[in-house]
Amino acid sequence: MNSFRLSVVPVDLVPLREALQHPGSGGFCSFEGWVRNTNEGREVSGLEYEAYAELALVEGERIIAEAIARYGVLATHCVHRTGDLVIGDLAVWVGVSAAHRDEAFRACRYIIDEIKHRLPIWKKEHYLSGDTAWVACSHIERAHEHESPAADADHGHAHHHDAPVAASAPAFSPDYSRQTRLRDVGDAGQAKLAAARVLVIGAGGLGCPVLSYLAGAGVGTLGIVDGDVLDASNLHRQTIYDARDIGQCKVELAARRIAALNPAVAVHTWAQPLHAGNVAEVFAQFDLVVECTDDMRSRYLSNDAAVLTGTPLILASVYQYEGQLQVVSAKPGEPCLRCLWPDEPAPGVAGSCVESGVLGPVPGVLGTMQAIEALKILLDLPRPVEPALLLVDLLDVGIQRLPIDASRGCARHGGCAAVAQRALAQAQRDCDVDLIFDSLDDAIAAGYRLVDVREPDEIAAQPLDAPSCCMPSAQVAVQAGELPSGRLLLVCAGGRRSAHAARELRGQGMREVYSLAGGVLALRSSCDRLPATTRSRSAS
Amino acid sequence: MTTVNLQYYAQLREQAGTGGEQLSTGAATLRELYDELRSRHGFLLSSDALKVAVNAQFSDWNRALREGDTVVFIPPVAGG
Repeated sequence: MNSFRLSVVPVDLVPLREALQHPGSGGFCSFEGWVRNTNEGREVSGLEYEAYAELALVEGERIIAEAIARYGVLATHCVHRTGDLVIGDLAVWVGVSAAHRDEAFRACRYIIDEIKHRLPIWKKEHYLSGDTAWVACSHIERAHEHESPAADADHGHAHHHDAPVAASAPAFSPDYSRQTRLRDVGDAGQAKLAAARVLVIGAGGLGCPVLSYLAGAGVGTLGIVDGDVLDASNLHRQTIYDARDIGQCKVELAARRIAALNPAVAVHTWAQPLHAGNVAEVFAQFDLVVECTDDMRSRYLSNDAAVLTGTPLILASVYQYEGQLQVVSAKPGEPCLRCLWPDEPAPGVAGSCVESGVLGPVPGVLGTMQAIEALKILLDLPRPVEPALLLVDLLDVGIQRLPIDASRGCARHGGCAAVAQRALAQAQRDCDVDLIFDSLDDAIAAGYRLVDVREPDEIAAQPLDAPSCCMPSAQVAVQAGELPSGRLLLVCAGGRRSAHAARELRGQGMREVYSLAGGVLALRSSCDRLPATTRSRSAS
Repeated sequence: MTTVNLQYYAQLREQAGTGGEQLSTGAATLRELYDELRSRHGFLLSSDALKVAVNAQFSDWNRALREGDTVVFIPPVAGG
């Protein structure tokens, strides 16, 4: 029974509760709104509810349908009283039954908040002093506006959050006085920031401080790229998120956080990593790019796109207790990432937070340094002219600045632009390596043979639920002859090792070899399971 | 023998078990020095995957070692 109704008589809760019992329900949550004896400091003796019934019923049903679609609950019911009520009477009842308690709590909260906000119901309060007053039954704030329900159906396109905060939020006027007071900033500097467009790739440990500080500073337009959903293991370093956000898309969470922090900032989001086919086009829309991913491939792709589009790029990465920072000015003759390390290292060579661990504040420090570099560039503040790699050691608390000699880097291979052009062209040829499948069965049905390139301990911990052969990613290139024939789909945990191995095999002349995009993790991505009604709401 | 000061970053720090050390070495060049250290500490990365800096300047692997050099080995890192 999924329904909303109005009742002029007291409500018997027993049948309502029973009607929500379902064999698949593991949790039931109800909310009761009661008439209390005071409102805004005045003593109330009782009240009278009046509804515009036709509209209230239609809107109430709509709210319940939204809650079901949004949270995947099994059954819900809501009843709202009308007529005369006395202190302690039940005014509204919401019941939700769901497979798990989390959906039940959230859906229950959603329904009561929306009902209070949207339903055409008024109450007339009777005060002990003898007078009465009509009071609107609306709340300014709805809890779910601060959580992200949202995933994008169409991951390949930007979504625009030019006015993402609730329409009911009070008007906010940013106050930048603490930074405009700086002589080198002033109103002219603030105007530069307002006109600036900055793309932040990766909304993780580095991206959180970058986004926070740039939004706070009043950078007019922020782009955010991140294909991940929030994991509990992110929270020790990714400080803009909450425990209740786990499982939700980071770009949406980050967009909402920025909207809450500074509604004056326009936010554009990309819910999938950029790729060789779109990276240059996206970079061309921005004045500056801040690379905050933990992905070597993304860093090299960003480097190449920055060089080719002439967009300054601020690179940083962290390892355990230390980090590196490099500003690529993307001006002719100035060094790039490939001037230091010409080729992308194989996955596993460059340590990651997953494999090597990281202390939470380490990306916080490096991300904050990226934010400072970004503001320095946007405001044209004094900064060292000599290009350098910064090594930041937070155990010894030392920063080492190593100047980069451009003549000893890409200059020996035709220059950064030529090197970037070749690399991007190669990446475009390899673009079709990544294939998206909802399930491994779909891949097998499409004629692919599965090769699990994870390590034996990973496979033991989480075996694939489909027939596959196993060969660790590092072995694939050297033992290519032992692979099965036919069209191969390589599979790893997150899609990086499998994609790298697939590109290696293609380099050996094998054409029909592909990688499962996003790896095993993507097969059960909660982003993809949200109902369509939720997705369409997110872009508003 | 040449006495040099070594600094390790990232994976090298972890594999060496220290952020730095002083070493007397018979190695003539940076490449020979790194090869010696690879066997000494079991470093997994080859010199191709690293940058090396001497006295706060990036350097060529064929550079000759001099007494008192401060040598820093820098692997690429990807965490974020």
